Amino acid sequence: MLDTLVFVTVLLPFLVAAVLLVLREQNLRKVILVATAGVLILSSLAMLRGGAFIMSPAPLWGSLVTLGDFLILAVVLLVGLKRKNQIIVWLTVAQIVGLIWFDFFMVKDHGATPAFFADDLSLVMVLVVSIVGSLIAVYGIGYMKEHEEHLHLTTSKQPQFFFFIVLFLGAMNGLVLANNMLWMYFFWECTTLCSFMLIGHDDTEIARKNAERALWMNVLGGTAFLFGVMLLYKVTGTLSLQEILARGPEFAVAGGAILVPMFLLVFAGMTKAAQAPFQSWLTGAMVAPTPVSALLHSSTMVKAGVYIIVRLAPIYAGTYFSNFVALFGAFVFLATACLAAGQSNGKKILAYSTISNLALIIACAGINTPAAITAAILLILFHAISKALMFLCVGAIEQKIGSRDIEDMRGLFARMPRTALVAVIGILTMTLPPFGMLMAKWMAIESAHGQFLLMIMLALGSGVTVLFWCRWAGLMLATPFAKAAPEAQDGTIRGPLYLLAGLAVVLSFFSPLVYNGLVAPVVAMYYKTAPYVLRYGNFESATGVFLVYPLFILLGLGFFFALRQTRKITAAQAVGPYMCGEQTSVDGKPGFLGPLGQNVTAVSGNYYLEQFFGEAMLSKWINVIALAVLVIMLFGGAL
Amino acid sequence: MTKILLAVLALVAAPILGALITGVDRRITAWLQSRYGPPILQPLYDVLKLLGKQPMLVNTWQALCAYVYLVGAALSVVLLFTGSDLLLIFFVLTVGAVFLVMGALASPSPYSQIGGQRELLQMLAYEPLLILVFASIAMVTGSFKVSSVFELSRPMLYDLPLMFIVLGYALTIKLRKSPFDISASAHAHQELVRGVYTEYSGPYLAMIEIAHWYEVILVLGICALFWSTSFVGMIVLVALTYLAEILVDNVTARLTWRVMLKSAVGMGLVLTVVNMLWLYAQ
Repeated sequence: MLDTLVFVTVLLPFLVAAVLLVLREQNLRKVILVATAGVLILSSLAMLRGGAFIMSPAPLWGSLVTLGDFLILAVVLLVGLKRKNQIIVWLTVAQIVGLIWFDFFMVKDHGATPAFFADDLSLVMVLVVSIVGSLIAVYGIGYMKEHEEHLHLTTSKQPQFFFFIVLFLGAMNGLVLANNMLWMYFFWECTTLCSFMLIGHDDTEIARKNAERALWMNVLGGTAFLFGVMLLYKVTGTLSLQEILARGPEFAVAGGAILVPMFLLVFAGMTKAAQAPFQSWLTGAMVAPTPVSALLHSSTMVKAGVYIIVRLAPIYAGTYFSNFVALFGAFVFLATACLAAGQSNGKKILAYSTISNLALIIACAGINTPAAITAAILLILFHAISKALMFLCVGAIEQKIGSRDIEDMRGLFARMPRTALVAVIGILTMTLPPFGMLMAKWMAIESAHGQFLLMIMLALGSGVTVLFWCRWAGLMLATPFAKAAPEAQDGTIRGPLYLLAGLAVVLSFFSPLVYNGLVAPVVAMYYKTAPYVLRYGNFESATGVFLVYPLFILLGLGFFFALRQTRKITAAQAVGPYMCGEQTSVDGKPGFLGPLGQNVTAVSGNYYLEQFFGEAMLSKWINVIALAVLVIMLFGGAL
Repeated sequence: MTKILLAVLALVAAPILGALITGVDRRITAWLQSRYGPPILQPLYDVLKLLGKQPMLVNTWQALCAYVYLVGAALSVVLLFTGSDLLLIFFVLTVGAVFLVMGALASPSPYSQIGGQRELLQMLAYEPLLILVFASIAMVTGSFKVSSVFELSRPMLYDLPLMFIVLGYALTIKLRKSPFDISASAHAHQELVRGVYTEYSGPYLAMIEIAHWYEVILVLGICALFWSTSFVGMIVLVALTYLAEILVDNVTARLTWRVMLKSAVGMGLVLTVVNMLWLYAQ
């Protein structure tokens, strides 16, 4: 049974991907994709039921992984040579040399390390990848059809597109289930390659440029990862992640030596999670078709980065290094939230908000208390759902209105009532209690309690976060009083939107169960204590209490009552917007009656506070400071 | 059981108390401006009259937002009175504030739009200040629970004098008092008509008014925590603070949002850091 499940979640996507690559029949592709999504979702749930496990497949697979490593590196090297990018070439050469030496001369007991192991953290990750990722893949069917119609392609490029999308899911599942660090390295490189290919999918000038930037930054991370693993092997004498984690306290006491590989691995995680100063690859990735952005931002890629950081947290708990990780995370959280507030491009707002939330997860890993790790895991889970939802909404909106600028989304409810509502739900689940994201943020802030510098940055950051989400939600609703015409939308687009919106709300409602079943055991396993006591489903600890059900019930009742009252409002009670008594309306657009009876259309825009939050203003300083913290982290914390 | 009683008490008494405080506020303000001023119960009369009016709306979202704003504000007061978590109270307060702004932004009227944008800037200014105040309270009591404040043996004001000033800053912004009545003003000297309130009218304006009373009680309740050891002390502290707010309201002119943001964040951070250093030194 277990063999089958691991096979289905990791290897099946690779096989399906290969089939999709050669298949040119559209309807068959649709069927295969939906079926794969269903199978992935079911098997991830089955795997969750089965609980923790260790597994070693036949030795042949180990050799295949080694072969795969070199294959990927060769491809990356070719790309580097073709694009004449010195950084990619030299970093890849370093990896090839390092890997040859490591694989054939350093590691003696190749078959001895089990390839896979899973605890609740891995299982949560598999759930996120398989459910959210699959839904995004299904959404891709409808999206890509329209996307290619729009581009007037003569031959469809969908086979390659879905090849890499599905491959990505398999690689991510492999990454989070890997026990052997060399296997993890293989899957890590797989995700780098997939993201490069997907970002460059449209093959425009800017797509090629941004894909290349993503590649060199991630190859840098990959190099750090490989040398991190090598040093880790040197210090601990094993490649088994599980063994390293189990013996974590012993290494931590030994001090110094383990922190250098930890730094390299955490650094690799930071590049993959697009933390400053490497944020530009993720903001550049938005040139790709929307399903790619959704995938990169929510369930795959960046989550691999924070996964490794949270995964290794117990090993560096209580060190100076850990404090610097927290400081770094809190700084990037604040800085990128400010950058998001200065943007009007919807996808860019989402991109910076992703980086900001990932930084919060990293800050939690750095704070490294049971409560903080709980917050980190819950953030990974809830952020994946809400952010995927937001990206899919923006994608659907962009295809309809031809713009991703939030200023153009004013009054969107009149044109796309369902999508606008789903987007508002997405925003609310991102920012307000009683939803899961906010609960996790509450845990994060309370666990930073006592560390005032962190606290200040978290406080400022969450203030800015509310600013950019709230105005976006508000302006989409700016419509005259009228029944909006229902919008036409492909089922493969609408289905994932509704499912994700439902999931974001329902899962938040069951957050006490999620905590009890998935998060508390794994935190207790590595930290010996569970951070919260659940009383009637309310989270309680010495530092605070979060009321889940009372809030859900009271706010829910209030909301329900309000909705019922608004239903009673009739058109007779509707008035035009206030225009100083001089309102006119031309083509349904409200405006003022100006001089000589001319109509002056009312136009308004958001404050983007360029002088505080402009990209040109901030980016340079943010990069300098982030780099400085990284350097201090290496020399002050790790060495 | 006592918690349920307290919750009901908070739910019923808070808006009445809030109305009375607003009434007294208007009388004192009138006195400062050498006017006679309305009766103390005038805010209550106003709201009762508004409640009886026929609803007029630009779209249904505004009604929804007015309701949720009221629910959020009332719930945060209930949470405060039942001794819940300070950060949680803050987040629930944000629910109300966010919906108020969403309702304002849901109308294409430029007055309402700019009012909503400015309200967001006000939130950006006071939210970090409130979190910092709560974090410092947690530094003293070791917990974010309101109930643990009442276990202290001496008033918190001794340990956190500067944080009280920070709270006062947030208070001025939250109560829409001059010089920070940027998004909407209680007085008739607003260049934006009624800013964030512009499009709310009739019963919905009444609801917003009631929600604002809840918020007044909430912020004053948080002030009272600084003298948690005696009931009289709480009353005196709150009364003095509110008088100071009225005085500031009457002697200052409105500032721009740039000044508000810079001064709130700048002063808030400096005072917090100094107060924390002092706390560590003790």
